[in-house]
Amino acid sequence: MLIRAFETRLMARPDHGFQLYSSGEEAVAVGVASAMRTGDRLLSGGRSIGAALACGLDSGQVMAELLGRIAGPNRGRAGRGHLSQPESGFFGAHAVVAGNLTIAAGAALACQRAGEGGVVFAIFGDGACGAGALHETLNVASLWKLPLVLVCSNNGLSISTPVSSGVAADPLSSLAGPFGIAHATVDGMDVEAVAAAASGFAADARSGGGPALLECRAERFTSHSSSTRETRPAEQVTAIRERCPIAHLSAELLRGAVLDETALAALEAETEAEIDRAIAFAEASPMPPAEEALHDVV
Amino acid sequence: MSSESGAGHVRLFFREAIARALAEEMERDQRLLVLGQDVGSFGGAYKEFAGLHDRFGPERMRDTPVAEAAMVGLGVGAAAMGHRTLVGITYMDFMTLGLDPLVNYAAKARFKTAGRITVPLVVKTTAGAKGQGVAHSQCLESWLMGVPGLKVVAPSDPASAYGLLKSALREDGPVVFIDHKRLFPKSGEVPSTECFAPIGKAQLLREGSDVTIVTHGYMVHVAMEAARELEKAGVDAEVIDLRSLAPLDMDTVAASVGKTGVLATLEEGQVTCGVGSEVAFRVMERLGPVPAVRVGPLPAPVSSNPVLEAECLPDAGRLVDAVRRILSQAKPKGTA
Amino acid sequence: MIYKLLVPGPIEDVEQVRVLEWHGGEGQAFAEGELVVELETHKALVEVRAGQAGILRSVISQEGDWVDIGSPLALLSDSADEQLPDGLDELAEMALSFEVS
Repeated sequence: MLIRAFETRLMARPDHGFQLYSSGEEAVAVGVASAMRTGDRLLSGGRSIGAALACGLDSGQVMAELLGRIAGPNRGRAGRGHLSQPESGFFGAHAVVAGNLTIAAGAALACQRAGEGGVVFAIFGDGACGAGALHETLNVASLWKLPLVLVCSNNGLSISTPVSSGVAADPLSSLAGPFGIAHATVDGMDVEAVAAAASGFAADARSGGGPALLECRAERFTSHSSSTRETRPAEQVTAIRERCPIAHLSAELLRGAVLDETALAALEAETEAEIDRAIAFAEASPMPPAEEALHDVV
Repeated sequence: MSSESGAGHVRLFFREAIARALAEEMERDQRLLVLGQDVGSFGGAYKEFAGLHDRFGPERMRDTPVAEAAMVGLGVGAAAMGHRTLVGITYMDFMTLGLDPLVNYAAKARFKTAGRITVPLVVKTTAGAKGQGVAHSQCLESWLMGVPGLKVVAPSDPASAYGLLKSALREDGPVVFIDHKRLFPKSGEVPSTECFAPIGKAQLLREGSDVTIVTHGYMVHVAMEAARELEKAGVDAEVIDLRSLAPLDMDTVAASVGKTGVLATLEEGQVTCGVGSEVAFRVMERLGPVPAVRVGPLPAPVSSNPVLEAECLPDAGRLVDAVRRILSQAKPKGTA
Repeated sequence: MIYKLLVPGPIEDVEQVRVLEWHGGEGQAFAEGELVVELETHKALVEVRAGQAGILRSVISQEGDWVDIGSPLALLSDSADEQLPDGLDELAEMALSFEVS
């Protein structure tokens, strides 16, 4: 809910910059983050807003980062594509498709050597499934039993290319099979299904059982990026948005009497208030001084 | 194993200098990992890791699949988590497969995270031609020199290999350490006690007054041979071993060219956008126009065919000819 | 007769070698084919075997010493009491065989 509100308000701003939104795929990030413990790490691709907020990063700091302000965790240098706050478990976004996978394997190797039970999660898109880096990562992760949970948020499209034209394997989780890696495909619009699967794989990885590949079938509510034209017919996008993971969970919670309408409305109001504070925090922070272009280079 | 020779020095094979630097640093930093193809019990393609597997075990001297993207990525990821790593890429040609994690992640990590993540990584690789053909011979160091966030070093003898590797393994950020196939048969004196060769510092190997020859890696030996030839012809050449390609030690180079007034660069990699081009331009930015010549290989792939390989590669004769030519143009009344 | 044992060669790609281990001290008799000394190159071991019978009389290059191809390693003789000469130039070369591994 926070991710959706955050992105909706960000999209409405004229200065939103170049963004890849997670709207529609929130349940993947939230479900995976729910499986994380202290000492675990999450890496994402460039579609990072959901992952970062799900890891509990401060929404004001994330907003500041995305708007290029120095109060961002990376002083506004990283933006959405490379946002990171490792001490919060969000080891970072890396906006090269499949580029975070071998890095995640290396982080998992470090966790394994440290021997403290840390697990590394990596979220990537279906577009990464045709890349050699995934296959190299699966191979070595299996050989070395790395504590690595690979999570494919399969939104069905690489910019405009349908997954059926981009990856020969179906389902995508079956790519792990030949490497002897545990794998599953779940409904990525159902946060409880994602959370259950991610937790199970994380427990295995934590106890030395090795890596896993979890495919979450999700939907992208917007086009690829804030500057990419939508290739799907309007009626298809409308139909996709009907399958909202937040609405789905809200309905479940209402039905189970976990929440009532009043509590839900209060939650929505709290969320909007938090975004108000996030925007105010970001706007109060300046852009970096130009000389920071040369800071922390070597 | 090795005899003491000279005060405080020991003579080592080139490979032994590498192994010694690594052993000392692995002893000091218990997290330090070595990843690569055949770095384990095999001891490395040139035995440069010999003995380390027995001493530090297979977990730390870790053989990897033949998958350079994964090798470098694993090293980058582990290093970003604070586990300093050396990744061995057998030949520099194969670094093309591992450039993404190195260039797009490691080199930029410190900047993009505002210092929250650093990547203490060394990628060690072997460049140069020695009969192995078009995709096992290349010197691609100039490709890496223009990547902000990367340091690049190239030893020319056992002492510089030891000292530069020690320094590289103490850096906070990624360093590419480039040795050369033809350096491995060589031996040389290395200080008996621990020491470091500073990154960013060139070494003046031979003083001279007529021309400055700037080179690095194995070509240092070719340049020294050429300098001896030039001496017979009455030309007094100064030879500088760059050692560090990024950053470049332009103070040392410019001071020398300021003295001799003429610059010749020698490299085994292509001269187009090469090390020599960069050095020459930076010299001229400091000193104004200077007669300069770049000597390198032919603009062609390096064949495994010995006739074609020899024709392609620069040698002392070509450097001598180029120096005499530039001197005759630059100093028509000079000794050349 | 006195013979000089030289570092064998050529060995491809080798400029210098290091004496690794003598398989016997001065006074030791070697039969043809026996291992006399092991040398170390930058990437391999060189086993030097006697190509004729001989008694090791004087080790010139000690273990750990660096030697070039063709330089003297030791003097051997047919009998134990032959007088060793001052110079090496006139001496015949000891027959040997070697294997690089």
